[in-house]
Amino acid sequence: MTETGKIEPVLDVSNLTTSFRIGGEWHPAVRGISFSLQPNETLALVGESGCGKSMTALSILGLVPKANGRVEAEHIRFQGKDLSRLPDDEMRKIRGNGISMIFQEPMTSLNPVLPIGFQVVEALRYHQKLSRGEGEKRALELLELVKIPSAKSRFKEYPHQFSGGMRQRVMIAMALACRPKVILADEPTTALDVTIQAQILSLLNELKAETDMSMIFITHNLGVVAALADRVAVMYAGDIVEIAGVNELFARPTHPYTEALMRSVPRSDRDTKTLYSIPGAVPPLTRMPQGCRFAARCELAIDVCRTQNPPLDVLGSGGAHSVRCWVRGNHDLAEMKENADV
Amino acid sequence: MPMSEPLLRVKNLKKFFKVRRGFPNPETVIVRALDGISFEVQRGQAFALVGESGCGKSTAGRTILRLLEPDEGSIEFDGREIVEADAREMRALRKRAQIIFQDPFSSLNPRMRVGNALAEPLLVHGLMSKKEANERICDLLEEVGLPRDAGIRFPHEFSGGQRQRLGIARALTLNPELIIADEPVSALDVSIQSQILTLLRDLQQRLNLSFIFISHDLGVVRYFCQMMAVMYLGKIIEKGPVPKIFDEPLHPYTVMLRDASPVPDPAARKSFERIEGEVPSAVNPPSGCHFHPRCPHAMDVCRKVYPDWIDVDAERSVACHLYADGRGGLPVAESAGATS
Repeated sequence: MTETGKIEPVLDVSNLTTSFRIGGEWHPAVRGISFSLQPNETLALVGESGCGKSMTALSILGLVPKANGRVEAEHIRFQGKDLSRLPDDEMRKIRGNGISMIFQEPMTSLNPVLPIGFQVVEALRYHQKLSRGEGEKRALELLELVKIPSAKSRFKEYPHQFSGGMRQRVMIAMALACRPKVILADEPTTALDVTIQAQILSLLNELKAETDMSMIFITHNLGVVAALADRVAVMYAGDIVEIAGVNELFARPTHPYTEALMRSVPRSDRDTKTLYSIPGAVPPLTRMPQGCRFAARCELAIDVCRTQNPPLDVLGSGGAHSVRCWVRGNHDLAEMKENADV
Repeated sequence: MPMSEPLLRVKNLKKFFKVRRGFPNPETVIVRALDGISFEVQRGQAFALVGESGCGKSTAGRTILRLLEPDEGSIEFDGREIVEADAREMRALRKRAQIIFQDPFSSLNPRMRVGNALAEPLLVHGLMSKKEANERICDLLEEVGLPRDAGIRFPHEFSGGQRQRLGIARALTLNPELIIADEPVSALDVSIQSQILTLLRDLQQRLNLSFIFISHDLGVVRYFCQMMAVMYLGKIIEKGPVPKIFDEPLHPYTVMLRDASPVPDPAARKSFERIEGEVPSAVNPPSGCHFHPRCPHAMDVCRKVYPDWIDVDAERSVACHLYADGRGGLPVAESAGATS
């Protein structure tokens, strides 16, 4: 589908729907999304709270709580396996090994009563069956790779002795431990100060250049997207509404939501006279409207938008830019109108 | 140059906290959260306090309202010293200066209908009868973009953005002249953030409000504020007009902060390579200039002596040895070269 279409994607997600049971009814939080991840590519999933970006990552890893959650997909293909149909014990071999995850809150994702070094070694011993000595050697290498100063002397220290930025580096070291093919990073810099965020972003960029891993980077911050993504998928209320290469997306934001988001962010590098405000708020999961879910907040909305959800259309001939919009996609609006009237 | 007396003049304000820490033999250490800051806020102006966590910006906001008692220094509000003011005088002053908090959920009483919560200051100050207060609250709710009858609801019935509107309405009930806004939009989503910023700017212009706007987000500061001060470990290290500081920052820390702020433009992608180190502990700040361990331009004198304030021009000043006599300041390329 992309410019590098001939190369086999590392991860291919097709028609993924994740629903939650609320008050006895199932409501989709992620609604039939499809995307693929190329080798050594960073794909950013962007959107506001509740758009389904984190749920997408949890669904890929089979971490959606089974009691009230349900994951359905045509397939989630990774290394020839369909993750959506894998039994739990098989899935466990993939988590932290083939695909690993970095979470937003580095304090709550580390065990406070175990030393840092031990926690990095754990994954290595479990997945790669290394001896304690080998494991410790490799763990130390990893802590040095993520640039923890005097890693050797800090190996036996506890999480509370590390700053927020250093803890996030430890989380990255753990995620990298088994040389995964794919890293899912869920807002890994949101809780950090800007100078620390900059350091973590440049570390992730370096690691990506040095290894052949691919990354799905989940964020709400368009600045962070511009700083590290190769390709961007914009999500709104469970749908991917636009997907494009990073330069293309910022140069030609096509979905009205993408465009509105970009005009809503005050920039530090230039004066903003007036800030655009998207009216209203994201509808709650239990009261999603018919048709395009953005229609109620959209300046361009026409009748058909309120009744039918638009398909994800490919723009131009390159196939790299797709948008889900009746007005901005490739639709004959006159014909649409007729159909809607019938 | 300021044309009239400033609304607020803060001089050499200090706030220290005593913290017992360590195990098994705890010792008392002193955190110098605010270590002598001075600035002025003009009427109708939005003044930004900018910095990373732990720089003392929130402590500054609270100390100015005497929600925390200052240890030293003076706070003049409209020409009156408020550090020594007694309780009665303070109550009168609090009508004129209000605060908006970052987290609008934890700053509203969950068991109180929001209309009652909003009316409370009017009744406490004995300004209105209950009936008049209710009318005023309806007007206020409308002013901040909520339905007039929202007052009968409870806080949990509102979304994050709506709750922040309630926080703003609460701050406006007493017609204040100064509002201290402590990270008012950082907990909000982008689309809600721009709604709240637009509302705040509209209110500022219509009601000629002054703001102390506490934030770590440079984009938000550039949009909303006219003057700013950058803080690092309890001290202000640079202050001046917002556009000038963004276009040509003086202090190496300001440069670092600006360069670290990601810009939504892939063409401006940076390597971030000059951004080093972490903010040290305020318990035991580095000798001399607190920033010297992270500063690419640190000289011997920076390690020994804390730099004096240097007025670079009529509006701008900086605390950095690079600007002392005979030294030329930062290399031009670095100050201007955000994206090169």
